[in-house]
Amino acid sequence: MASVSVWQDRLEETALAPVRRTTARFWALVAAEVAVVAWGIYAYTVQLRDGLVVTGMRDRISWGLYIATFVFFIGISHAGTLISAILRVSQARWRTPVTRIAEFITVVALICGASFVIIDLGRPDRVLFVFIYGRWQSPIIWDVLAITTYLTGSIVYLFVPMIPDLALFRDRLAGRTSRWRTWLYRTLAIGWNGNSSQRRSLAAAIGVLMILIMPIAVSVHTVVSWIFAMTLRVPWNSALFGAFFVAGAIFSGIAILIIVMAILRRTYRLHEYVTEKQFLYLGYLLAAFAAIMIYANISELLIHGYKLEEGAEFHLRQLFLNDFAPLFWFYLIGGLFGPIVIALVPATRNTLGVVVAAVLVTIAMWIERYVIVVSGLRVPLMPYTPADYAPTWVEWSILAGGLALFALLITLFTKIFPIIAVWEVAEDHEATVSAIELTPPAVPEMPAPSGGTYS
Amino acid sequence: MNATFRQAARTALVLVSVAAMTAALAATALASHVVVRTSVPSTGVVGDIVPLAIDIHTPDGAALSGTTVVYYLHMAFAGVEGEAEIGRAVTDDAGIATLLYEPRSAGVHDVRIEYLAPGAEKAEEVVATFEVAGGAQLYQSAGGPDIPGINPGLLMAVLGGVWLILLSVSFRLVSIARAGDAALLPEGDGPR
Repeated sequence: MASVSVWQDRLEETALAPVRRTTARFWALVAAEVAVVAWGIYAYTVQLRDGLVVTGMRDRISWGLYIATFVFFIGISHAGTLISAILRVSQARWRTPVTRIAEFITVVALICGASFVIIDLGRPDRVLFVFIYGRWQSPIIWDVLAITTYLTGSIVYLFVPMIPDLALFRDRLAGRTSRWRTWLYRTLAIGWNGNSSQRRSLAAAIGVLMILIMPIAVSVHTVVSWIFAMTLRVPWNSALFGAFFVAGAIFSGIAILIIVMAILRRTYRLHEYVTEKQFLYLGYLLAAFAAIMIYANISELLIHGYKLEEGAEFHLRQLFLNDFAPLFWFYLIGGLFGPIVIALVPATRNTLGVVVAAVLVTIAMWIERYVIVVSGLRVPLMPYTPADYAPTWVEWSILAGGLALFALLITLFTKIFPIIAVWEVAEDHEATVSAIELTPPAVPEMPAPSGGTYS
Repeated sequence: MNATFRQAARTALVLVSVAAMTAALAATALASHVVVRTSVPSTGVVGDIVPLAIDIHTPDGAALSGTTVVYYLHMAFAGVEGEAEIGRAVTDDAGIATLLYEPRSAGVHDVRIEYLAPGAEKAEEVVATFEVAGGAQLYQSAGGPDIPGINPGLLMAVLGGVWLILLSVSFRLVSIARAGDAALLPEGDGPR
């Protein structure tokens, strides 16, 4: 058991290391991220001053980059739900080293995603109109309710399993860190000392949350899809949209989790805990969801093409042959077939291959959101010339600012909170060691009797 | 030159006057074969039915039945203005045709009623005026079937249930905090 103790000490030191040591490279990264966020804020002030006319959005194509990015962020927020809740329920132990960062991605993505809706409004004060004039029958109200509930649930689900680790930070960093950190860890640890009563309460709380968070997460992206599907537009006229969006959300969530995991693993030397196994298993999940997405796309597009309602032909042409063809083909080939090929070919079935697949999927899923939003609005409702949409520098800058904010919040999180669920990884390790110790030694193979054969 | 021009102008004026008088006398003669009386309420309310009635008789009092009457109203839509046909009716045995019209906008409406009297080659018309008040929104999409239980109440119940469960988690957190305060008991060997 001494080896277990040494292993746990090493684990704790690994978890504490980002908080104890801060390099110049870290501050350089933060400065770069802050600079991009600041540029995004400047672009937003231009939009506030001059109005939405500074964007490429007009009356016919009234949603663009902002709404596509909103859908994208809400999608990647499913990273935490899938890894943490579904795998926790299914008792998949390999998830333990990545749960914390997955849960944090959820919270950060929701914050960033919700911001883009407010940015899209033009005047942020109009958010109040949702509460003043909102109607229960509107999917927009359902969306507001679902996202606020999901954000609250995700913050609680991030916080509750972190309590023992916050107590670890409180105890191990006492007197060796700044006063605000001492106060923060003492407050957030809520008096955790690991007694049996606390453990029971913690287990009960996690049990409730992991069940609750799954339907909430599914409802969130379903309702986001309904904002489109319940609008009278031919390309969005689909009963499949809810399931399609949820599958796409989990798909992009896994991809962004793989990317963030790879960066943190390299930056904080987590190779002992975040191993190739985690990457491969997530890579398999990525490939499985790519297959689901291919199925959903075929089902969706074939039905549109078969019925060919008015506007459907225009839509299919713009997707496969005209304006959106390069983007759409990249999404299909790079984003959907690519991960499957990478998972199937032994030469690419490794950490690097999975990370490459994740990058492809992340780009492809953002493109997919953009294509859904813009191409759907581009189909003319009356016999007029189809409108065009090109994002302006203001929109690109705000997008860059939003992505930088996402990276910045994760960067800062790693410097304040434990990025590994120490107690869960330790429990997993202890269980593995115990299982090995309890396993009877293997019976040596009996040599085949000379001259005889086994039938 | 001036005298010739004045002469020609005078002749032209006389000819035009004679032509106009002839046309007016002819029109009176054409219209005089029927007697028309409209019966339209002077006021109405947006969304309420307004009966637009017309009574067509011969000068000797005989009802003209079976005459088709067309009603027109001035309208504006999407930047285009003009007359639109709002309905048709046929005179009954009493010579009365009635269109039940539902005004969709407030204001003074001049409804032009057109009919082709028996024996006449050209449609004749009368104009009736009525004023409409109010501003009710008439265009509402159908609410669909009213399925018992599927309503905002259900949404609130589900949402309330979720938030209650989240609240129950906060009670667990209170339990954890209390157990930490109370026990400085040497029991703790939990996850650290």
